Amino acid sequence: MRLIVHDLTEEQAKQILPQDDIDTRMIGDNGTIHPCIGCFGCWVKTPAQCVIRDNYGDMGELLSKCDELIFVSKCCYGGYSPFVKNVIDRGISYSHPYFTIRNGEMHHRRRYENHFRLNAFFYGTDITEQEKKTAENLVHANALNLDCQAEKVHFAPTADSFRGEFE
Amino acid sequence: MKIALMNGSPKIKDSASGILLDELKSLRRDDCITEYNFHTPILPSEMNLEEFAQQDAAVFAFPLYVDGIPSHLVNCLCQLEKYLIMHPSNLIIYAVVNCGFFEGNQNRYALEIMKNWCVRCGLKWGQGVGIGGGGMLPGLQGVPVGKGPRKNFAAAMNQLSEHITVGKNAEDIYVSPNVPRFAYKMGAEVEWRQQIKANGLSEKDLFRKL
Repeated sequence: MRLIVHDLTEEQAKQILPQDDIDTRMIGDNGTIHPCIGCFGCWVKTPAQCVIRDNYGDMGELLSKCDELIFVSKCCYGGYSPFVKNVIDRGISYSHPYFTIRNGEMHHRRRYENHFRLNAFFYGTDITEQEKKTAENLVHANALNLDCQAEKVHFAPTADSFRGEFE
Repeated sequence: MKIALMNGSPKIKDSASGILLDELKSLRRDDCITEYNFHTPILPSEMNLEEFAQQDAAVFAFPLYVDGIPSHLVNCLCQLEKYLIMHPSNLIIYAVVNCGFFEGNQNRYALEIMKNWCVRCGLKWGQGVGIGGGGMLPGLQGVPVGKGPRKNFAAAMNQLSEHITVGKNAEDIYVSPNVPRFAYKMGAEVEWRQQIKANGLSEKDLFRKL
């Protein structure tokens, strides 16, 4: 499965993202997401599942079933937009609470066996060179953390520029 | 000096960010301190933005969430940016980011994002502090500040406090807890096992797959 997490409006999503692709699951902003409250309940109360049961409580499980993860996000200071970051924060049950050493640094152990590819598409009319550098580093850090393969980090002035990228 | 302490943890109490800010506060007894809590994606209702922009310094403290800033705080930063670009301020921004991993430098990209935010808002950047092993801080409240495993954290907060006084830009500081990494790793695993058992589940459940 390909998982696309995006912060586009419904109208933009229809124009830019693939429609009716049975192998693609899209996670967009319907205005109901709750932020992660840092309780670690997804590790010690309802393992592998977020304790907040809104529409975004199964992100860890979804990540375990994907072979490609795509972020389409407004670039905010070299990071993800609040919505896309919220979805990422709500997905930590994908990892196991125990630590392992990866590339000489402490990271979380895998809970699942799947290895997905990670692509990020950042948009914004005036993304600075420093913000691009931060975003690239951030995506690669995410890949190391999730033990997945970072492929490409794209930048464009508008989300519309990404039309056709997901066919 | 007028200093704003900005707690960006979603937790109402016993957050590592709050403990670190308390440590800093105890070093700034002669200053006029205003505290703000950013627990949700909405700016605190009691926050007076005009008053905030007139502070000499603001110190953000927050936990690292997946290599970056927790989403609720990104939301708040976007709201603050809207105000600050219309109301130029001489604020100097400092940030203390703590993560559960041992290495304090894993907070480096969250600090970069804070620096980029300062550029967008036209604010001066002071210094960043990356704290590793922050998750153990709430469990160390019985240990005196600056002693045992808290030694390196206190040294970092002292340095930060000195730089706030001078008001100049300084290199970021990264620290790990004053314990060996293997001991920290083992201690964390014991803690997870205890917590899951306290919730009526077994150790095996930590490995649950859906």
